[in-house]
Amino acid sequence: MDLEKLRKTAAEIVSRDDVKYLIGWRPGSFGYRVSPCFVQDAAGAEELIFSPLCASNLATYLTLVEKLPVPRGEEPDRRKVALLVKGCDSRAVVQLLVEKGIEREQVILVGLPCRGVVDLNLLQQKYPEGLEKGELSWQEGGFQLIRNGETATIPREEILAEKCRLCRYPNPVLSDVTIGDPVEPWETEADRGVEELEQKSVEERWDYWEEQFSKCIRCYSCRNACPLCYCDDCILDRLNPIWINRAVNFSENTAFHLARAFHLGGRCAECGECERACPMNIPLGKLNRKLAKEVREKYGYEAGVDPEAKPFLASYNPNDPEEFIL
Amino acid sequence: MDNANPYIPYMATIQETWYETSGDRPIKTFKVTLDDEEVRKNWSHRPGQCAMVGILGVGESMFCISCSPTEGDFLRFSVMRAGKNTQALHQLEAGDKLTVRGPLGNSFPLEEWKGKKILTIGGGIGQAPLRPIIEYVKAKRDQYAGLTVIYGARTSSDLCFKGELQEMMKCGEVCCHLTIDVEEEGWEHNVGFVPQALLDLNPSPENTIAITCGPPIMIRFVLQNLKKLGFADEQIYTTLENRMKCGIGKCGRCNAGPLYVCKDGPVFTYAQLKEVPEAFA
Amino acid sequence: MSAMLLNKDQWSAFVGKLAGEKKVWAPVKRGDIMRFEPLEEGAVPSLDFANTTVPPKTVVFPQTETLYRYRIGQAELAVPVLEGEAVLLGVRPCDARAMSIVQKLFRWDVDDPYYLKRREAATLVGLACSAPGTNCFCTSVGGGPASTEGLDLLMTDLGESYLLEALTDKGKALLEAAQDLLQEAPAGAVQEKEKVVGAAEKAIARSVDTTGIPQGLPGLWEHPLWQRTAAGCLGCGTCTFLCPTCHCFDIQDEVEGFEGRRCRMWDSCMFAEYTLHASGHNPRPTRRERTRNRINHKYNYFVQKFDVIACVGCGRCVNLCPVNIDLVEILRQVKEAL
Repeated sequence: MDLEKLRKTAAEIVSRDDVKYLIGWRPGSFGYRVSPCFVQDAAGAEELIFSPLCASNLATYLTLVEKLPVPRGEEPDRRKVALLVKGCDSRAVVQLLVEKGIEREQVILVGLPCRGVVDLNLLQQKYPEGLEKGELSWQEGGFQLIRNGETATIPREEILAEKCRLCRYPNPVLSDVTIGDPVEPWETEADRGVEELEQKSVEERWDYWEEQFSKCIRCYSCRNACPLCYCDDCILDRLNPIWINRAVNFSENTAFHLARAFHLGGRCAECGECERACPMNIPLGKLNRKLAKEVREKYGYEAGVDPEAKPFLASYNPNDPEEFIL
Repeated sequence: MDNANPYIPYMATIQETWYETSGDRPIKTFKVTLDDEEVRKNWSHRPGQCAMVGILGVGESMFCISCSPTEGDFLRFSVMRAGKNTQALHQLEAGDKLTVRGPLGNSFPLEEWKGKKILTIGGGIGQAPLRPIIEYVKAKRDQYAGLTVIYGARTSSDLCFKGELQEMMKCGEVCCHLTIDVEEEGWEHNVGFVPQALLDLNPSPENTIAITCGPPIMIRFVLQNLKKLGFADEQIYTTLENRMKCGIGKCGRCNAGPLYVCKDGPVFTYAQLKEVPEAFA
Repeated sequence: MSAMLLNKDQWSAFVGKLAGEKKVWAPVKRGDIMRFEPLEEGAVPSLDFANTTVPPKTVVFPQTETLYRYRIGQAELAVPVLEGEAVLLGVRPCDARAMSIVQKLFRWDVDDPYYLKRREAATLVGLACSAPGTNCFCTSVGGGPASTEGLDLLMTDLGESYLLEALTDKGKALLEAAQDLLQEAPAGAVQEKEKVVGAAEKAIARSVDTTGIPQGLPGLWEHPLWQRTAAGCLGCGTCTFLCPTCHCFDIQDEVEGFEGRRCRMWDSCMFAEYTLHASGHNPRPTRRERTRNRINHKYNYFVQKFDVIACVGCGRCVNLCPVNIDLVEILRQVKEAL
């Protein structure tokens, strides 16, 4: 990874008058953590990193900023926001464009071809996280961990995040500038990480999700971390009427997760943020990938790959299969 | 309030309802009596206090009790239709049941104010917590040196308690100044914002207590103008409102800085609030 | 009978004894997460953990709790009968301290019967920390690996055996109930414990000097650090829901058919609707104000009201934040800005 080039490019971008800030990653406060950072000036760009620890999808921040009323006599800030994007992150941006959640002129995308990020839990299990910072980089066949002056080589499959194992778009599908050489995609169509579950009986699947959803504490980190959960008026926050009770139990939790999964059907960019953010380790990626798989297999539609595409639910085709209609 | 379990409400019955204002967010007044005779007898509230009013199956919201205990053994709530609970409340009529938890919070120190001139400055629905002061002082007028009411709203149809206020003006028992934001045909009173009406009236701060309630922006300018008129921080009172759930200082959300509006308030002096940055947020 | 030894090979018998008398809650592993659950019959909990993902506050302050039930159209309210006595096994000292801190609020002026009854019915068996977690900083906020506040009994792992020290009558009663499994602790056991605790204290790597923070926070109201911190915040409820001292809740009515209940459930000051008025006005309109309130509530407001910081340094918010918003780091910046 050419960090120098990344920082130089970022510095140039944030120095422009029409740019508000650039959102990137910087080393976190301890261990393997990485923080999102909002680079305001050229000096701030020196902090930027890009490594297999940069799992978070920064596209989320495009829609997370609260829209307060502009004080009388003031103009709204129309400056652009620049963003570092991996392949999956760029899919989220594309999907936002398709849905007109953002406008193309609002964003500058710095594309970063990605060889896959790590699953923090797996890394921690292998190399317990301490306060001392660990640096991780890509190397042939896996990752290199440098910590306390010691170097360790970790085979790729041991700590690679599941969403990356299944990734089909390691290169940004949209960017204004790309840093680094494109990487060769590795994934096969067949494996979506849900096949094992699909083989199970309805009862077994029910038991599986009951156990998972029962863990949910309804902190909504999955929704908030999701770049595509950006409704101004989310049904979960609705107090009038209350669609899903705030009581936390299997039934309401299931209603919540299924509602979210269906709202993401044909929209999910498969960035895995929901699953990564979940403090209770609920495998939400499986749910979303299953729906994405259905949408692709039945309707030949894939979210977040073509900025000119119509949204899935707005692209009706008379030949669409309808065997689900009883 | 039931001391053993402060979450258990009393059952109450609506005796009478009427609309104070119309428009998108009408204000409806509910005259309510508590069902249990024992409870009714033991109930005592002071002007400024609040109660959690609810409908079983819908929910509870905090409202100020908009009547003075001197008026009788009933409760009044003036409710603006805004959210889920108030929408449901607005559909209720005489005979319907409510749940009531209270009285909650502190109150205006009317005992302390004896011998002083009372000046209330209200805007919109903010007149509701001021009404009990007016009624209380009217009932015990020999104990107070005077009562002046300044009250304004956007239009004449947004004024609450208009009938009784005009009645008071007519018989001259209270010095009452009504104002609306913009000129209207047939309006005989003042036109202009409440803070300006206050300046125009130019009340003397001497031996006076000023109490203000209304939208945050109005309160902010009223406070500025009261200072201009020479009122000391301790002479100025206001009552705050925030989203509340428990009403007894547990659920956490109603704090303005370190102050819990439900328990430390809702009545505060400006001296208490001026260092609290969230107070008028 | 205040300091006893329990040989580890008697552990399952000891648990069985407790379970025979009261409902026992203990840390249970569910996949990668750990939370307090009622012990199933015959189950023996492992005490091999740094701390649970979900704090044991769930036992005395369930995430959702029925205040009362009713039938639509009728005036009778049925208050649920709270379960009987319970033993919480393996509570870390920080989490027990959190309960005594929160209790101050639930006792403030008006007693909260739901919380207090559950709390009174619970016997807390603590487990002193011998290997603190990465982000533990209890010693910075008045706690320690063997703090006893809130506990009835403290267990310390001495390798072959546990040292059990009764701290209250409830703790003594537990020891008495299990006395045939215990032996009087020899003189050296307490010294050995001091050694374990001393080593644990040294192993706590994170710290913050909190002096001046409660007094200084009001002066930092408009400081850019709030905007800086909140910029990356997702606005989720992880930090607050999993915080042992966070106690805020919402109250909602729920109806199915004609059966209704008014219940309370955890709420988070990091959610936008938390302070949203029905009028649409929000006194804390952005994540900046909410973040500022979270820190101020713990390190300023609570101190003003109850004379104690409402944070026990358990490190959960730091460990579990998906975007590395680090409380210790925020406090360091606060300190720097004072």
